[in-house]
Amino acid sequence: MSDAALLNIVLYLPLAGIAGIVALPQRRDGQVRALSLAVMLLQFVVAALLYLRFDPAAEGLQFETRLPWIAAWGVYYQIGLDGYNVLLVLLTAFLGPLVVAGAFSAIQREVKLFYAMVLALQFAMVGTFVAQDLFLFYLFWEAMLIPLFFIIGIWGGERRIYATLKFVLYTAFGSILMLAAVIYLVHSLNTTSGVTTFAFADLYKAELPLDVQTILLAAFALSFAIKVPMVPLHTWLPDAHVEAPTAGSVILAGVLLKMGTYGFMKLAFPLFPDAARLYAPLFGTLAVVSIIYGACLALVQTDIKKIIAYSSISHLGYVMLGLVSLDLLGIQGAVVQMVSHGLVAGGLFLMVGMIYERCHTRELAAYGGIAKLLPIYSVFLLILTLAAIGLPTTSGFTGEFLALLGAFRAAWPLHVQGTDYPLIVASSAVAGVVLGALYMLWFAQRFLFGEAKAPHQPLRDLNFREKSILAAIVVAVFAFGLFPNEPMRKTELAARQYQRLVRTERGGGKVAVAPSSPMLSAAGNPSGPVSAPSRDPNSPARAPGADEGTR
Amino acid sequence: MNAQEILIAMLPEHLLLAGIVLLLCLEIAPGRARGAFAISLLAVASATVAAIWLFAIGYAAEPFAGQYSVDPVASLGKAIVLALAVLVLLISRGELTQRAFPVLLLSSLYGVCLLLSSDTFLTLFLGLELMSLPVYVLVLLAFRRPESAEAALKYLVLGGTASATLLMGVSLLYGASGSLSLDVFAEAIESPGTMAGVAVALVVVSFFLKAAIVPFHAWAPDAYEAATVPVTAYMSTIVKAGVLLAAVRVFGGVPLSSPTTELVALLPLLSIVWGNLAAMRQQSFRRMIAYSSIAHAGYLFYAFLGDGAGRFQAVAFYVLVYGLMNILAFAVLPQNADDAARDRLDNLKGLFRRDRFAALMIAIAMLSLAGIPPFPGFVAKFLIFKNVFAAGYTLYAVLGLVGSYLGIYFYLRVIQYLFMSTEEGAPQQPPERLALGAGFICLVASILLAVFPGWVLGLS
Repeated sequence: MSDAALLNIVLYLPLAGIAGIVALPQRRDGQVRALSLAVMLLQFVVAALLYLRFDPAAEGLQFETRLPWIAAWGVYYQIGLDGYNVLLVLLTAFLGPLVVAGAFSAIQREVKLFYAMVLALQFAMVGTFVAQDLFLFYLFWEAMLIPLFFIIGIWGGERRIYATLKFVLYTAFGSILMLAAVIYLVHSLNTTSGVTTFAFADLYKAELPLDVQTILLAAFALSFAIKVPMVPLHTWLPDAHVEAPTAGSVILAGVLLKMGTYGFMKLAFPLFPDAARLYAPLFGTLAVVSIIYGACLALVQTDIKKIIAYSSISHLGYVMLGLVSLDLLGIQGAVVQMVSHGLVAGGLFLMVGMIYERCHTRELAAYGGIAKLLPIYSVFLLILTLAAIGLPTTSGFTGEFLALLGAFRAAWPLHVQGTDYPLIVASSAVAGVVLGALYMLWFAQRFLFGEAKAPHQPLRDLNFREKSILAAIVVAVFAFGLFPNEPMRKTELAARQYQRLVRTERGGGKVAVAPSSPMLSAAGNPSGPVSAPSRDPNSPARAPGADEGTR
Repeated sequence: MNAQEILIAMLPEHLLLAGIVLLLCLEIAPGRARGAFAISLLAVASATVAAIWLFAIGYAAEPFAGQYSVDPVASLGKAIVLALAVLVLLISRGELTQRAFPVLLLSSLYGVCLLLSSDTFLTLFLGLELMSLPVYVLVLLAFRRPESAEAALKYLVLGGTASATLLMGVSLLYGASGSLSLDVFAEAIESPGTMAGVAVALVVVSFFLKAAIVPFHAWAPDAYEAATVPVTAYMSTIVKAGVLLAAVRVFGGVPLSSPTTELVALLPLLSIVWGNLAAMRQQSFRRMIAYSSIAHAGYLFYAFLGDGAGRFQAVAFYVLVYGLMNILAFAVLPQNADDAARDRLDNLKGLFRRDRFAALMIAIAMLSLAGIPPFPGFVAKFLIFKNVFAAGYTLYAVLGLVGSYLGIYFYLRVIQYLFMSTEEGAPQQPPERLALGAGFICLVASILLAVFPGWVLGLS
């Protein structure tokens, strides 16, 4: 079987699973669960196989399928793996079986519909990652909304209708403006070059004047920033997380939020590089604001799920910081942080779900000394807590550290040169690390230690299913923390390509932006356009070694 | 003009006419009414096949030169409208207690076919009236509620106003050019004269009235609500499709120039926004669909901002998708002897627990009408807005898209009622088997349209 077929199998397996579930008779909940788990496990196996066969040294797409779809519009059915998405597809496929298994006991009504929706969501998510055609990407991007709308709306908590409508209306607003930008982009490419194309590779070559780039970037960035979410567009996230069933939260935190950062990395910044460089200080500032504001909010929450939800906002701030730093280490750190957060936050949400199933409350004040009541549970929780803080040897450390390092490496030369703003931004981000340790450890202290109390005693500790789920996550967390080289090697080419694309000047010769300066270079004046024409692009601003790789 | 041309070119019309005559004979003959359904279904289905056949062989002829012509574009339009009519007939089994129903429906369809082949305003007017007059009666036919009379009268008066406006505009066109040919409209758009401008405005407004564009929309919610479900389905799909496809014929391929552009952009934009906003507050399914259809008429007129050749393609694809989705929603709507109760949105609450298939079908129809991918409504909307962008009307396109965003809420609210409500609506009977069959056909067709939109777009 050809490799391209394998990728299609990864993509369409969930659809086959839905067909199987629909074919099953009513009230065979056990069979529905088993079938869903089998499909997800098979998907993971195939995805892992593709990951192992992914050649990190090869340029361009691998396992590519490209077929004409809507010929009149130049739309192709084009999917493939590259350094951008190979880890994220693996992460999605890895979390899939865990989500399914994690919901075995929690979901007791409308089981068929639930697993059909989870599989549909899995299909749309993998599709969004592997799509290499903007039309196809948008199709999957929007299609993701529908299953999640159902998952939160049907199996959610008290205020589920409010939360799910808020989630959909928020994200759909970003999407509709992005749609306008997509059509405009493709159309303007058509008028300049005469070809109608939606292929990412072709769109990267589009030459647009800076003002157009700025507007289009704003539309794309709005859509992606809502998904990430970046402060101040984050208000849907706590509601959606708190009201969603565990499976919904895990998918939301584990994969869906990465769609936003993936969109920035794959589309928004490389498509409109001049505008991206110009507004990098803005994105960098928002990233740091997200890191600190998210951490502060997490500190004061009394609902366990909300603590994790706000910590997600904080953790994804590092990803954005790494991406805008345009430093190779920072970019790779962002990629690692995406995967790491998917594992850690996914695991934490699963653990919150497990305690909720036992005690039916998420109020932190109701708990204490869980370490005495549920020893095995507590060990897992402590490991994931430490991974969330970013303790060395866990995956969280690699991502956070590299993202911060990248930000400093980009900012330092500018500081030497007399522009302090980037360094202030990067330094402020460090405060997030301290705050992160504070809110997670304080949570662990109140929850795990002290006087033993919990509603609904006695509690039974984790069963085999729950232990297996958490063990898988913990193994992945350590594997990623101890051996980050291997996955980073697979993404290095993509990180370099991203760096190159965003540094390329593509203003169609109409604008003068300090060429190939690190992204934060425009930071002398964070609000206005580049106002320092005196800065010589050939000056020593380009720090020696700033471009060196990780090896 | 020769007999053979008349026979072949007007085959769909002849088959409809044969159906009408047979139905009338059945009316005179003593006996059972059961044949009526079969005859009307057979007539419309065979007319559909005839239209598809004419399209497939690329038949082009002018049996009545200068008045009536057939070309593949006209045949494709007829095929779409007639195919949708077959589906409407399938869901209207319950209407057959009204003996006049099939005759009126077929007469109206004859009008639509005439409309889509017209070359002069004379034929166009004939078709438009023949299409509309039976519908005024159809709205009133069931007379299930006292408000039906008011609604039908409103519809009749405003429909008459539309005809009068059209005639006024056409007479001005005739005065300016001495011709009734549809081409003079295109010339009038390009000419800078005041008289031509007024004539164009009057003709466009008459189409707005027929298609329910704000501020000429007031009849639609009342008429849709007063009519029975199949008649509402007929009005919202086939009448709308007929009016829009006729408008494509009238506008031809000429690029719009100011101030026609503003007329064709601003009022539809207003329709999109107002239709979507007003739909949020409706408690009745048909009223909601009426406001939704006002918004959709807005998208459809947006297609005229695009360039010439793309207009027919965009409108035809959109009315096909939109028609299928409307019929799908109406087909699986649970039955109830009390028409008003059947209509209440509250009664859809918790439908998923009672009737899974119906709830899923309505959900798919709503998501598709909202234009959310991967459902075919997205491709249809994408095509229209792509053309508007390509024609350079970036601002109108962005505003239209933002207006379409407003619509998402009320479509999602229906899904919320169906799936997420803990309350139970009043128990209702499941839809008839034939109606379910029609819904199933709509579903399969919409899946095909979603997966292979390129194939359908390639046709036109």
